[in-house]
Amino acid sequence: MQDPTPSSRRVVVTGMGTISALGLDLPATWSAVIAGGTGIAPITRFDASEFPTTFAAEVKGFDPAVLGRKEHRRMDRVTQFAVVAAREAVASAGLDTSSAPERIAVIVGTAMGGIETYSENVRTLMAHGPRRISPFAVPMAIPNMAPGCVAIDIGAKGPNFAIASSFTGGANAIVEGARMIRAGRADVAVVGGSEAPITPIVSAGFAAMGALSDRNDDPHHAVKPFDLHRNGCVLGEGAAMLVLEDRQRAIARGATILAEVAGGANTADAFHQVALPDDGEGLVRAMRGALAEAGIAPDGIGYLNAHGTATEMNDRVEAAVIHTVFGADTPPVSSTKAATGHTLGAAGALEAAIAIEALRHGILPPTRNHDDDDPGIALDVIPNVARKARIDAVMSNSMGFGGHNTVLVFTRPA
Amino acid sequence: MTDSAATPNAPAAPPHARRVVVTGMGAICAVGNDVPAVWDAIRSGRSGIAPITRFDATGFETTFAGEVKDFDPAATLGRKEYRRLDRYSQLAIVAAREAVAQAGIDIASDPTRVGVMIGSAMGGMETLEAGVETVVTQGPKRVSPFFMPMMLPNMASGNVAIDLGAKGPNFAAVSACASSAHAIGESLQMIRDGRADAIVAGGSEAPITRMGVAGFNAMGALSTRNDDPAGASRPFDAGRDGFVLAEGAAVIVMEELQHALDRGATILGEVRGYATTDDANHMVQPGPGGEGIARAMDLALADAGLTTTDIQYINAHGTSTQLNEKLETEGLKKAFGDRAYQIPLSSTKSMTGHLLGTAGSLEAVITLCAMRDGILPPTINQVTPDPDCDLDCIPNVARAVQATYAMSNSMGFGGHNVSLILGAASTVPASR
Repeated sequence: MQDPTPSSRRVVVTGMGTISALGLDLPATWSAVIAGGTGIAPITRFDASEFPTTFAAEVKGFDPAVLGRKEHRRMDRVTQFAVVAAREAVASAGLDTSSAPERIAVIVGTAMGGIETYSENVRTLMAHGPRRISPFAVPMAIPNMAPGCVAIDIGAKGPNFAIASSFTGGANAIVEGARMIRAGRADVAVVGGSEAPITPIVSAGFAAMGALSDRNDDPHHAVKPFDLHRNGCVLGEGAAMLVLEDRQRAIARGATILAEVAGGANTADAFHQVALPDDGEGLVRAMRGALAEAGIAPDGIGYLNAHGTATEMNDRVEAAVIHTVFGADTPPVSSTKAATGHTLGAAGALEAAIAIEALRHGILPPTRNHDDDDPGIALDVIPNVARKARIDAVMSNSMGFGGHNTVLVFTRPA
Repeated sequence: MTDSAATPNAPAAPPHARRVVVTGMGAICAVGNDVPAVWDAIRSGRSGIAPITRFDATGFETTFAGEVKDFDPAATLGRKEYRRLDRYSQLAIVAAREAVAQAGIDIASDPTRVGVMIGSAMGGMETLEAGVETVVTQGPKRVSPFFMPMMLPNMASGNVAIDLGAKGPNFAAVSACASSAHAIGESLQMIRDGRADAIVAGGSEAPITRMGVAGFNAMGALSTRNDDPAGASRPFDAGRDGFVLAEGAAVIVMEELQHALDRGATILGEVRGYATTDDANHMVQPGPGGEGIARAMDLALADAGLTTTDIQYINAHGTSTQLNEKLETEGLKKAFGDRAYQIPLSSTKSMTGHLLGTAGSLEAVITLCAMRDGILPPTINQVTPDPDCDLDCIPNVARAVQATYAMSNSMGFGGHNVSLILGAASTVPASR
């Protein structure tokens, strides 16, 4: 079944799964996104009363016992999310993972892995000394256990690792999975991102940078991407996993093809640990690189899911970059982070899944909480209300601390 | 040293249009603060393991580790800058600078074609632990704005890119103790694919923290031979009782062959083949029979266009845990058959300790030095042979063998297996 000339192999998406503050599966997340809903609410996972920001986008109603009564206790929440999303993706792809399992790769992007496990064990160590640490502390905390446990759960024995690139990890996993299939290193790649950062230390750390919105009296309307009055992002949690597959293999087994992975590119700013260069040069290169690989002119993009964190700097620079790349004719752009929160290493994959749903359904998701245009931005941000549009290609942008930029282009299956 | 003859091989050209060579190497670890010092210690069989000084380890089950010594980050990185870098980022920058200086590559002339990929198992652990302590003792509003960018595991990769001005592909491969082996392997693929002409690749780790030691102690993974630190890491020996936690960074400059030839670079060796597999079996135990690592070795040889008869040295994962070496030995026999008994192999973790995410890249550097000088490094602390580990682990004393192709294996919690095939400089054409 393997194409004799790997470089000519095309890669398609045949399954998707998500878990987010908007819902426990992709249909629930997608319907909430296009309805203009939000998953942002006061924090319940810890007592946030003394914290600068007291709200976040938490996954609700999730019972990790679905992973097994014993097994789930040995997984940090970041791994639980990854496994749940991978199961949905594999089921929706109708994929038999017991067939040629050594040809199935797993790559999961995550910014920080099992941070809850790690930080809780540091507290234990402080309070009770080194001999009270759980033997599961290290395996639960290390970021690669998300792809490791996905592999165990679905029996995938091919290439397997995690990607840490702060907030581009989920997008990078998709780029690398597609590359692996094109190079003939795998026939299927279960790829995406996962994050469970709603912990005291991460909340305090982002707040210390001034990155979080502190509109504590109005969580639902706090996050305002591209709006004149934006004042920061909000932490979100969840996972999104995609099944990527060699196109010939997918056709041969009669799989439903959801989209083609047409292009992807990853660049570095090499500029500053957390700040962006004003011209967003690295993101420009990533967007152009993804378009070039896809063989699509800028005007072929019908929808752009922006990184759009709702920080002053991100949205200003990203808007400038969009104008640089698209010229006067910018596509409709939205940031779904006002609905999902900023899911960090999961964001690139979650937003890829949302962009693919937009492509499939011909519905462009809105940017929630858009009240006042920022005259410095001048984009069509699909304010507040979803829009119908037949589109043939979508783009999804991700940027991260460390200067990472990753851009994906998906097209309607030919 | 003992002498042994090696048979030179003449295998076919590798089955990839773009070959990838190594033009620079950098390392900092318990046995030395640059590659010449590290290699001198390794070929001499010197251990870098000693009592822990980075924190008060009184009351911990294990009180020794492989610490970097005499490293002054303020002097090397700047008085202000070093404070904004977790130790694992500091070590990565030091190793990357050494590698790039040796390569003599002018990154500024084409920065978008030079990538960076620094793997790490854990990232900024020391920063993370201090941050949690701050939240608990002083409240959330006292956490530093530098906490997040210091802690994240991708920041070594990001900081090295900033330091060097490298604007190409950049992320951190994370796969526990196989992280930097993945970083080298995935960089190989990226250069073959044409996504970059050069990548500064490797790993960095600074895990000698209270949680690092307590966490691995809780698993029973660390040696507790507190009365004999230098004798504690004894891979393949029957008396092995766990690995020795260690810190450091190792980075290589990987470059497309023609790119290196065109600029007249000195070629140190070739990254000839790579494969990665997963056991999909257990969170922390290697797969039964060494099946996953054996499959990685088979696939890496195929990727390199070589066979088992071409390999003259293996740098084993060899952590010094009971289970690892038993299963790794089974995996080697599965992949190499009877030839497994004829190939000298060693675990240099016997001297360096286990650098977790850095292990794969440090061992690649050591393997390249071994092929350059025709000296295979020993596995030290071999006292009592283990009948389950009956391969030739070059016990205690280095051996003069001119290897032209070597294999370096890495395995990580999570079931990750990586096998790299490295070629000596003599296997690379001087022009084409």
